[in-house]
Amino acid sequence: MNQTLVILDPKAPSGTASRQYSWQPLDGLKGKVVGFIDNSKPNFNYLVDDLARLLEEKYGVASVVRHRKLAASIPAPETILADVKERCDLVVTGSGD
Amino acid sequence: MEAAKRDVTALTICSTSFATLGRAQAKALGCPDLPIAVIPHPFGLRNREEVRRIAEQCVDDIARLVSGRGTEGGEASAAAADRAKRIEAPYELEAFNEFCEERRLSDGLPLVPPTPERVERMLRQTRRAPGEIVATVAPGFGVATVERIAINAVTAGCRPEYLPVLVAAVEAMAEPRFNLQGIQATTNPATPWIIINGPVAREIGVNARLNCLGQGTRANATIGRAVRLILQNIGGALPGDMDRATHGQPAKYTFCCAENEAESPWEPLHVERGFSAGESTVTVVGASGTLNMNSHAKDGDDLLRVIADSMTFPTGNDYHFGGQPWVVLSPEHAEILKLGGLDKTDVKRLLWEQSGLLASRFAARDYARAHHTRGGEFSRFSADTLLPISLQPDDIGIIVAGGPGTHSVYVPTFGQTRAVTRAVIR
Repeated sequence: MNQTLVILDPKAPSGTASRQYSWQPLDGLKGKVVGFIDNSKPNFNYLVDDLARLLEEKYGVASVVRHRKLAASIPAPETILADVKERCDLVVTGSGD
Repeated sequence: MEAAKRDVTALTICSTSFATLGRAQAKALGCPDLPIAVIPHPFGLRNREEVRRIAEQCVDDIARLVSGRGTEGGEASAAAADRAKRIEAPYELEAFNEFCEERRLSDGLPLVPPTPERVERMLRQTRRAPGEIVATVAPGFGVATVERIAINAVTAGCRPEYLPVLVAAVEAMAEPRFNLQGIQATTNPATPWIIINGPVAREIGVNARLNCLGQGTRANATIGRAVRLILQNIGGALPGDMDRATHGQPAKYTFCCAENEAESPWEPLHVERGFSAGESTVTVVGASGTLNMNSHAKDGDDLLRVIADSMTFPTGNDYHFGGQPWVVLSPEHAEILKLGGLDKTDVKRLLWEQSGLLASRFAARDYARAHHTRGGEFSRFSADTLLPISLQPDDIGIIVAGGPGTHSVYVPTFGQTRAVTRAVIR
């Protein structure tokens, strides 16, 4: 009745990548440069408009850099990534709908 | 993620519906601390005022998250290319399938227990080492070793000799231009369609004739099914979690056929794509569905006109992104085109010329989106612009398959994907 059999696990271990990238917090937003990578999903451009204004008015962000991907389902091109690395303290991206 | 890898402090914004996917991916890609600011779903349908209110909440979340310790920690394991784990499961078939269902190892249909003996028999069909890494599979980026592919193939009911085809399919799907990440995680019903060419199709019995896209042939049924199980079990795309498909489609269970090379008047797909006729290949296409096209036309130009007309609709992703749509011609339809003096290049060109979509047919929001994604192709983009279905005629894929009958099949695609062909190595 309670006989068992051995099988091989069809799954790959979850989270197989080791922790490769450590995430560094910022000491607040005041005076920082914030980059946005808009994923081109509907309304995200408006959200970026509003967040850019609020980050400057409410949190004293120095400036905002904006980029827009051609489409959501493709990665950001190297030129965008290099630019945010060069200019920004924080990069904010959109993912999914 | 890509920004986080470059040592820039990063943060992502996801709607509630996509937060699970975002967290799982951040962890799988080795950045488990990436903070996620969650906004309500569906975000794209909000009016301008609602977006403003969401932004007010979101900006506070961003401020809190960037100066905090991130979201969840999460232990990352590193057992990437290890040999598969042995698990004790119930022996009795019904209990075994309950066990698999509870662990979400199944596509919903009963499974064959992947015992070490069955997997071993399958591994004898390849010279590759069991621990050899074939690819990492998006969106969870689990490592597909030859052994793990074999385990899922057994589970799906494959014969051992199908294994080399599956290894080639996994390699093809992992090519960046296929965009497996997008195909696996999208709300679209996208799924890999597996097209098999060359001698291997005959040798392992892949159906290219009557009902080749339907039921009834073990190779077609189980090779496609094994691909789905690999995408779920190794890629981690479980429906409702990382697989965000709104409806999906029946082809997500299996979508596999061979080209009917014997009854094609033209060179087969793999030869068109640079392989020799004696080689065997697997081609993967990011398909969004199938549409039957029934026409009794006896004139080649007349037939192509109605096929092109059937391909032209304003909700297809191919028009949004300049895609790579496919047509499966029945041998009868292909023969009519051949008698009309047309080769494959002519067919592609005539379909391309006649499948332009008038931009005014888009919904207003879709027009704006197409303007953004494809505006660069035109000196001026307006409601009168005729959008080609693909960037160039050669991007339209053609195969000949099926049995007798006046039917051909249109296969629209995910749009942001390119077909990839890989040789089957035994």
